[in-house]
Amino acid sequence: MATFVEQVREMGIKQAVITKADEVVERVTAGMTINDIRSALRGDEPRRPNPRLRPHADGFWLHIRPSFYHTGVTHIYPTFRLGWMSTFMLVWETITGLILMVFYTPSPLVAYGNMWNILGNVPLGQLFRNMHRLGAEVMVLVVALHMLRTFVTGSYKKPRQFTWVTGMLLLLFTIFLSFSGYLLPWDQLAYWALTVFISGGAAAPAPDFVNNTILLILQGGPALGANGLLRWYLLHVLLLPLLAGIFFFVHYYKVVLYGISLPPGREEIGEDTAKRVPKDERSYFIPDILTNELMWSALLTLFLVAGALWLWDAPLESHADPVVTPLHVVAPWYLSWSQGWLKLADKTLVVAFIPLLLVAFIVMPYIEVGKSRRYADRRVGLTVAMLFIAFMLVSNWMGSPEFRVASSPDREVSIHMLPEEGPGGLKGIPFEHMTPGNYTPGQEIEGNPFLTRGLEEYEHAMHQQSCTLVGNEMWDECRVETLDSGAKRYSNSFTSDAMPDPFATLEIVEIQPNLKEMVLRYEVVNPENPNELLIDTSWTSFRHADSNYEEECQFLNKPCPID
Amino acid sequence: MQIKIAIGTIAFMMTMMVFGYSALREQARMERFANAELGRSIEAGAHIFASNCATCHGIDGTAQECYDTAGNQIACQGLPLNYNGLLCGEPSARLTEMGWKGSKAAYVESVVAVGRGAIMPTWSEQYGGPLRPDQVRNVTNFVLNWESEALCSQPLVTYEWPEAAEDFLASADVTPPGDPVRGEELYNVTYGCVACHGALDGSTAAAIGPALADIQDVGGTRVEGEDALQYVYHSILYPSDFISPECPTGPCAGPPSTMPANFGSRMGENPQDMADILAALLQP
Repeated sequence: MATFVEQVREMGIKQAVITKADEVVERVTAGMTINDIRSALRGDEPRRPNPRLRPHADGFWLHIRPSFYHTGVTHIYPTFRLGWMSTFMLVWETITGLILMVFYTPSPLVAYGNMWNILGNVPLGQLFRNMHRLGAEVMVLVVALHMLRTFVTGSYKKPRQFTWVTGMLLLLFTIFLSFSGYLLPWDQLAYWALTVFISGGAAAPAPDFVNNTILLILQGGPALGANGLLRWYLLHVLLLPLLAGIFFFVHYYKVVLYGISLPPGREEIGEDTAKRVPKDERSYFIPDILTNELMWSALLTLFLVAGALWLWDAPLESHADPVVTPLHVVAPWYLSWSQGWLKLADKTLVVAFIPLLLVAFIVMPYIEVGKSRRYADRRVGLTVAMLFIAFMLVSNWMGSPEFRVASSPDREVSIHMLPEEGPGGLKGIPFEHMTPGNYTPGQEIEGNPFLTRGLEEYEHAMHQQSCTLVGNEMWDECRVETLDSGAKRYSNSFTSDAMPDPFATLEIVEIQPNLKEMVLRYEVVNPENPNELLIDTSWTSFRHADSNYEEECQFLNKPCPID
Repeated sequence: MQIKIAIGTIAFMMTMMVFGYSALREQARMERFANAELGRSIEAGAHIFASNCATCHGIDGTAQECYDTAGNQIACQGLPLNYNGLLCGEPSARLTEMGWKGSKAAYVESVVAVGRGAIMPTWSEQYGGPLRPDQVRNVTNFVLNWESEALCSQPLVTYEWPEAAEDFLASADVTPPGDPVRGEELYNVTYGCVACHGALDGSTAAAIGPALADIQDVGGTRVEGEDALQYVYHSILYPSDFISPECPTGPCAGPPSTMPANFGSRMGENPQDMADILAALLQP
């Protein structure tokens, strides 16, 4: 082989550079020259011997990818690209997660401050945090849908039972990955979701010392603290990604080994012809599958970046506080069903049932051995699956805040108007529009549409929790019930515990430069005894000029009075 | 296939445009968030202050108006915090007085964390108190947020105290003689002297400072050339000038004295308070 200098002497600089570039490209692609790439992109027939197979044979990156697919599985149906998307999400989470790791220390002393640093001090920090968090949710969704379609098309059947088992484990790892990341911001949302989850784990039907040991291992101490955070951090960034990575390769190896199953109608019952691909049914990886995957990657990236920027913001509540339990602790949506179950049955029963369910899912392909993958032959199985999905959706809804236990009517109004966490209600009013003074629900403030809108919301919230005995037009008529104890209970069409003819005010005081105090006060005179107050409470919240609740309001689906 | 390449390329370019768009607006976004952490920390600190600190330091931090849990007004036992001597200037007058070499924020944070004397409790869980480090920081940020131009433009000393008590009582600012009944109330409630010095009738023993039940007799013996009136008057204004020999826990510490040196400025807003307290302390 001539050296570059010799080549230049022989054929001139231009030709020598082209030849050299061609050589480099051929080495990098493990066998394809520039012309081969161009012809592949044009969709030409390959030359003989086919250079497009060499990256699979000689290159590292494509050695695990099949060089051709059955054309029957390259359309949207039956795969919906969900397997590829799951892989993409795993890579996506790894990349965004690595960037976030740079700005994070797993210690209760600084973790929460790190979040604010990412939001306010790291260029594109909020975008990356949003992309990572949004990606985590999308990944759970994609992996769950992937499992669902595998069930629906019967692809778990012989010979792919073990692929299904590894897939189940990957779904489990995905949920644990997403959930273990939940704790890391060390805010109230994270802390209490984890605490509830861990206490659930410790309610297993086992001897006390077993449960206590589980609790100790998961919390790293008598309560979730520095050790616990470090453990969950290491789970999140080390152990679970490692397990997910290993099982991903086992899973994918099986996928390649048995091939992607054809649509059920494409093959004879009881046969598996995925690997027997006739010449005219081949779709080559280069260029068809590769460009397809790159297109989906680009679309998914666009969706995730734009979604993280415009559609959704990762939540950040106040600093984790082991002594203050938030009024409503909510599990992430993908575990909301378990919270729903807790309302149906005893904790121990639920905790024992979940692993049983998991085992049932894992062994399902070994027990359900019906030969046919066709939908018409699997009416029972598909019906059971649909009922199960319906059951999960209802359970999820039952676990949602909509199905929560209501607290006292004045408190319900208060947490609607001035929630303990985040923006919402009156906190979303721009600071300069919070004019100090005393206000009543529904009051119209001239020249201050923000406050007017807030007070309108206040009236609306009061309306749901109030009723009238004296014909006040603001509230609905009271329905009165006498309880066994002799006390009266007042209700309206929204709630069974309403305030009869309440007197409510909002007071705004500037207590420090740039800090305003908002106090909601409620007074309800006992209709039975005019000298006695049935309710005499207040709810205080503070709002600093720089707190930036307005920005949060734009994203979260909360009634912020910003129009 | 060509259409897929086109779609993918367009999606990729759009992603880059979205990135570019957000990068262009990033500076402004970061600025909106820059002080958000501090703002929310102050909000959290306001909650902590209202439920833990206001009983001693006053609802507005001036140590003028304190309420117990039942809502009755009680003596403010703490020092004023919403006070220019503490918050204005770096170092502020208080820092100089205490010989503190660090920053104002560090001073407030360390006092909140560690506590001082028998009255100010330890708050940080690091030293056995109930608050986490972030909560100590929150309440510190809240206290420091009282610093404002309006506060700092007030003179530190609002009243020019005459050197001799006689001249003070004879001046036009007071109506002599002082009212001992009101004086005792000021002693017990408004200025909270009772917390350290015990009750004037002896019903509560002194805790830190010397007992003052018989100060009208012993006051004249402490400093040569000062009678009881002048001695008490002088000691309220400048506690470190003379350290009393006997405190309930042994010899009194100092100088500087453990007693706050800011009563002169607090009473300066209403000099009659001084006259009334003197009357209460010196009544036979």
